Amino acid sequence: MLAARRPLCNQSEAMTTALVHIALSAYVAAAVFFLVWLVRPQRPAAPDATSRLVSAGRAMLLVGVVLHLASFAAARAQGGIATAGLGGDEWRGGQLFSLLAAVTVAGYLILDFRYKLPVAGAFVAPFTVAVMVPAHLVQTGARQFAPSLTHSAALALHVGAAALGSAALGLAFALSLLYLLGEKQIKNKHPGRLFSRLPSLDLIDRAGWRLSVWGFAFLSIAIATGSLVSKESTGASFPLQPKEGFAVLAWALLAALIQARLVAGWRGRRVALLVVAGFLLLVGTYAGLFAAPPQASTLSMLVPGGG
Amino acid sequence: MASPVLLCVGLSHREVPIAVREQVAVSADDLPEKLRRLKAIPGVREAFLVSTCNRLEIFSVADSRTVADDLLREVGPAGAPHAVVRSDDDALTHLFRVAASLDSMVVGEAQILGQIKDAHETAKLHGAAGAYFARLMAKAQSAAKRVRTETQIARGAVSVASVAVQLARKVLGNLAGRTVLLVGAGEMAQLAARELHQSSASELLVANRSSARAEEIAREVAGVAVNLAELPALLERADVVLCSTGAREPVVTHEMMVRALKARRYRPAFLIDLALPRNVEPSVNELENVYVYDMDDLERVAAGNRELREQEVARAEEIVREEREHAHGVAKSEVERTLAQLAALDEKQKKAVQAMASAIVNKLLHGPTSRLREEQGGPLAEAAAELFGLAEGPGADPVANPVANPPEGEAADVLPISGRK
Repeated sequence: MLAARRPLCNQSEAMTTALVHIALSAYVAAAVFFLVWLVRPQRPAAPDATSRLVSAGRAMLLVGVVLHLASFAAARAQGGIATAGLGGDEWRGGQLFSLLAAVTVAGYLILDFRYKLPVAGAFVAPFTVAVMVPAHLVQTGARQFAPSLTHSAALALHVGAAALGSAALGLAFALSLLYLLGEKQIKNKHPGRLFSRLPSLDLIDRAGWRLSVWGFAFLSIAIATGSLVSKESTGASFPLQPKEGFAVLAWALLAALIQARLVAGWRGRRVALLVVAGFLLLVGTYAGLFAAPPQASTLSMLVPGGG
Repeated sequence: MASPVLLCVGLSHREVPIAVREQVAVSADDLPEKLRRLKAIPGVREAFLVSTCNRLEIFSVADSRTVADDLLREVGPAGAPHAVVRSDDDALTHLFRVAASLDSMVVGEAQILGQIKDAHETAKLHGAAGAYFARLMAKAQSAAKRVRTETQIARGAVSVASVAVQLARKVLGNLAGRTVLLVGAGEMAQLAARELHQSSASELLVANRSSARAEEIAREVAGVAVNLAELPALLERADVVLCSTGAREPVVTHEMMVRALKARRYRPAFLIDLALPRNVEPSVNELENVYVYDMDDLERVAAGNRELREQEVARAEEIVREEREHAHGVAKSEVERTLAQLAALDEKQKKAVQAMASAIVNKLLHGPTSRLREEQGGPLAEAAAELFGLAEGPGADPVANPVANPPEGEAADVLPISGRK
């Protein structure tokens, strides 16, 4: 994404590219470690071998995300990066996904540090690779920022909040899938191979709940700041586009979920299903973003909630 | 007199689901009467009956195989079509396998041996079991102990109670701060409750039909006795419920749980039903955030344990076979050789010779085995085991004393194993 963005290929760009490639390699290695850990039969006699795989996976993710974030810093230093919506005059879809991947990995590492969820790592690491590869290899057409937004603080906040919210909800989505899978196995009394790898339903539920709340909070900020950005670029606070529609629906669903949990005590399966639905609506927001024609992509179209 | 035949008529979790087993289960209250009826069957010399959550087995030493038909009737109409009839070697092997926990729901669990010993003791108490089974039980226990000490089968293996506790953790995570409710007095449920309490569950409530019994169990498991009449309110409070009452009707109903769930704001609840008949309506499992596991369900989870320990099971099966053959061979050859030399003896005299041989062996071994018992696995015990080629500790030697410790008042009768051809 960052490579070959400008005709001038200087040393700084080469370093950025190298950092991204090394980060991607680390993500691939992490995915391999986690997946091997996930699929190999559990060996009570050799727990050390099992924990070594998980430790290696975590270490690779950490290395990857540090280098990945460093690549953003390097790109920023070389004269502006549009990824975060600041300093550049154009942006590409791949940049946005690269940012989302980095934030998701960072979020997972925090989550794992708090709850010890290696099984979620087995989903996050391959997901990151799946997002990063096309983000870097597929060149998409550049979209111009509206000149008034190049140095907009609202835009920076909007993009940052949207990225954090999306990452939190992406992780909540992954945990919800794990919850539904684990709950089904326990209900049906047919524990599969994954069963022994899953943490307790209670832990997944609690972690998913917290992520959903964070996701909701960031999404709220993203929508509010998106409205400001839209106003700055187009004059309309809330244009009626598919992207905005999906974002508001996702936000409303999450609001209802939080209300139901706090007031009626909803938890478990039905909450997991709502989180899945909320995340799919968020995906719809991104689809709306990229479905819009390039000429229509004022900066307001960059991220979900961007009015 | 014809050679006695060892018979076993029974069914287990392997043959029938819990819905059938709960119809044929024999409660502790009904057991004496059942034993009396078994003993009254013409041709039955001795009998004992094992009724657990997972099996109903009637073992009998009888005059002929035809007695099996009468035993089959005692299983009841619901169970008889599914029951398996075994005789002689098959029956003996089955007894050994059951005692060694090779036929258990959770292979390697320890409770079954105690349950068989208790069943045998009860039969002895009511005059249904005598010298035959005294010797057979000694052998079965010996085989079971060898299996446990010589294989890894029990390592990491877990009783049904432990499987239940593991599942509770899978649902509820850390049990700290959780409330456990024990309903009934079943031994396995008590074990599970104790284990849950030790897993840092903060509160253990004990409910029983009898408040005195509840107090007694509460003292044993370090819990708090509560009134069973308050069960609906207790369900609102309890995160793990262990049921093992002897009630014939469900104790926890669907409707009761719906109300409790709402009151507990859908916090998950894990119900373990170790009773037969079941204490929890099966439809309760359909409720959201409520998980009900009965004995058959625990079997499914335990199946994974069996798979993991397949090799150890094979080794354990080999021990059972060795023990059986060894006992056969040695006891049979020694008795036959002695009796052949005393061909003129009548039946009564032959019995006397057998009794004398047993007594001599017992007396000769009494001193050394007592000292070895006191030693309890120290260097002396190891040296003795090495010297005599004993696979395990003293006192369990299957060969030296196949008629060990016959019940008081019963002189050695015909050897249950060697007496058969």
